[in-house]
Amino acid sequence: MDSVLLIIDKAPYGWEDAFSGFYVAIACLNIGLPGDVLLTGDGVYAALEGQDSESNIGFPSVEELTYLIFPEGNVMVHGPSLESRGFTEEDLVESADLISDEDLYEILTSRHKTAFIRI
Amino acid sequence: MLAEQICYIMEESPPKMLTILLTEGPYRSQYADMAYEIAKSALNKNYRVNLFLYMDATHIPKKEQNPNSFPNVAHKFRILLEKGANIKACVRCSTARGHSCAQDPYIKGVEIKTVYELAAWIGKSDQVINLGG
Repeated sequence: MDSVLLIIDKAPYGWEDAFSGFYVAIACLNIGLPGDVLLTGDGVYAALEGQDSESNIGFPSVEELTYLIFPEGNVMVHGPSLESRGFTEEDLVESADLISDEDLYEILTSRHKTAFIRI
Repeated sequence: MLAEQICYIMEESPPKMLTILLTEGPYRSQYADMAYEIAKSALNKNYRVNLFLYMDATHIPKKEQNPNSFPNVAHKFRILLEKGANIKACVRCSTARGHSCAQDPYIKGVEIKTVYELAAWIGKSDQVINLGG
């Protein structure tokens, strides 16, 4: 494969999955394999600005991991998932890109040698 | 003549590589069994097969499992190893779950490695699939 797209659809706290998904993307980027993260469903909470998990629940901040993807990789946030949870682009970390359903369709149909990994 | 041509083609084309990323533990779900069946089929079709065990999947190759009601998944994964599959477990995940390298927790042939090994496998693979909830 020539790139990887990690699809995260679970909330960043209460599940290990978002944390672990970002780790895979970061490892890929660090060895020179292009990697992006797509946040959809409850996964969009991972890109909200101002998370304070370390002092509250002792869990590492997933927000900080979003900055480790940038700028080599993209953190894409599914717009309809974000809006349906009452948030807007202004609530997101600076490194996040908001994408529409049409953008998502283009991404999924144009990448022929990408490993799509849903965590 | 045809057999010679087929052998020539097989020698010239390197085997394809499949990497399976497993994230779910054994028994509670069927993912480990599904991974076994997919990996076995791919091995029978001469694929090189890698399985990376991530998060709760790092419980799968634990030694001395004794399920009363289900087939033992560690036995299944031992068969995959015997057939030539590569199986690695994430060190961060396995250590968190009490399966540390120092205790030699896994069936013989399972390596405990970092997530960078998964990244390298993805880069070399022709197909990557993930199984988990």
